[in-house]
Amino acid sequence: MRRSEAFLAEAQRLSSTGSFSWRVASGEIKWSDEAYRIYGIEPGVPVTFELIRTRVHPDNLPMLQEVIDRARREGGDFDYESRLLMPDHSVKYVHVVARGGRNQDGELELVGTVQDVTERRLSEEALSKARSELAHVARVTTLGALTASIAHEVNQPLSGIITNASTCLRMLDADPPNVAGARVTAQRTLRDGNRASDVITRLRALFGNQSATTEAVDLNEATREVIALSLSELQGGGVILRAELADGLPRVTGDRVQLQQVILNLLRNAADAMSGVDDRPRHVVISTEQDEGDRVRLTVRDAGVGFDPQAVNRLFDAFYTTKSGGMGIGLSVSRSIIESHQGRLWATPNDGPGATFSFSIPCAAELAPPDAAGAVRPLAGTHVEHAMGGL
Amino acid sequence: MTSRRSLVAVVDDDESVRESLPDLLRELGFAARAFSSAEEYLASGAIGRTKCLILDVAMPGMSGPDLQQELARRRQAIPIVFITAHQDETVRPRLLAQGAVECLFKPFSEAALLAALDTALRAA
Repeated sequence: MRRSEAFLAEAQRLSSTGSFSWRVASGEIKWSDEAYRIYGIEPGVPVTFELIRTRVHPDNLPMLQEVIDRARREGGDFDYESRLLMPDHSVKYVHVVARGGRNQDGELELVGTVQDVTERRLSEEALSKARSELAHVARVTTLGALTASIAHEVNQPLSGIITNASTCLRMLDADPPNVAGARVTAQRTLRDGNRASDVITRLRALFGNQSATTEAVDLNEATREVIALSLSELQGGGVILRAELADGLPRVTGDRVQLQQVILNLLRNAADAMSGVDDRPRHVVISTEQDEGDRVRLTVRDAGVGFDPQAVNRLFDAFYTTKSGGMGIGLSVSRSIIESHQGRLWATPNDGPGATFSFSIPCAAELAPPDAAGAVRPLAGTHVEHAMGGL
Repeated sequence: MTSRRSLVAVVDDDESVRESLPDLLRELGFAARAFSSAEEYLASGAIGRTKCLILDVAMPGMSGPDLQQELARRRQAIPIVFITAHQDETVRPRLLAQGAVECLFKPFSEAALLAALDTALRAA
């Protein structure tokens, strides 16, 4: 028995994994030695949430509260990552997994592990930072190269136009005027003008909307896919995302991928707007509902820095940005995508902190799904509430 | 008839430049001839009569700066006015440092062209 305890302690030490139990009713919390070591607390000190709060990173405190409240309410399992702020100001990353159940006394008890994943997380962060910097450079470089190539293609005929027009004027100003020569240069001017116009037509064919595919799209399903894709990114930013997707939502007509780009952009903007927010939970609510006039509306509401109501019109301008690293084309592109779906994208400041972005697009011309009750209620709320916290 | 006048040679792979620029140069009082490549110009026998060379930077085959080097190797001190549709501000100082009289970004005005030709012919 003592031997197996020693083995267990050694295994916990080697894997930087501590274990804990929490009797929800009495509030009694027990830690293994390794858990004490991870939290940097003298073994044997009675564990309370007060004590834990002194170690949890301030950014993660609101989420710690959410996790505790939810466990008290529902006794559910949890699995999340959190940061600890140690007395020496170093930051630790911990992965906490817990399972709820009844112990032999019939009490609600959570048993779980806390693993120190700091090293892994730091190397992942370095990698991810390098990757996103690379992606930014690639995007800017591509745009720069594209702009240069467009400018070259247009400057060639423009050069002809200006030279021919200068020649034409000189021929007409001559005494006697060289009308035949002027006519030839005017014709060349026309031809070069058409050539410049062709360049623009080719560009539009390349980047225009012709390639958009049109199909009946289930906006809820499209939204769930975007959430699944961006969840780890959002959680990494300490964002608590809640989805309230209406049941029986009619489908819309459009390009699924383009609509998902818009949704992703709105979610990213919401997360970015909250990156500096530390005095309140970083809540984002994404919801869908049936809108007036056979339309479907999607709304993303954040608790971020909001925007200056004076600047509401400029929000959607290309190259208008409030982010240091942003290019300012996301909302402009999003709006043009929504408008190409005969829809509308707009922003409203919240009564409290933050902003709400919504778009509304027409339903597909088809019969609504059979269970189209039109009722708006959270979709399996407990499972789509993605909280991050720290114990 | 034009042989006594200063010959301005235009070397550019873009046809609309080859059509339009010699006409304007003639209106401005110069003798002008256009060539579609550096190789064509080198083979033309017009080098000795050229008082100024208006030279495109980027061309398939031998580029403008390649031709500039080749002329220097042949000890042909012809003033060169570069023209380019790539508005790359870093190109101009480099070309000027290598001895070009001017570098004009397409589209350029008649006034800019005249000023460049003026400088070139005074250098000649």
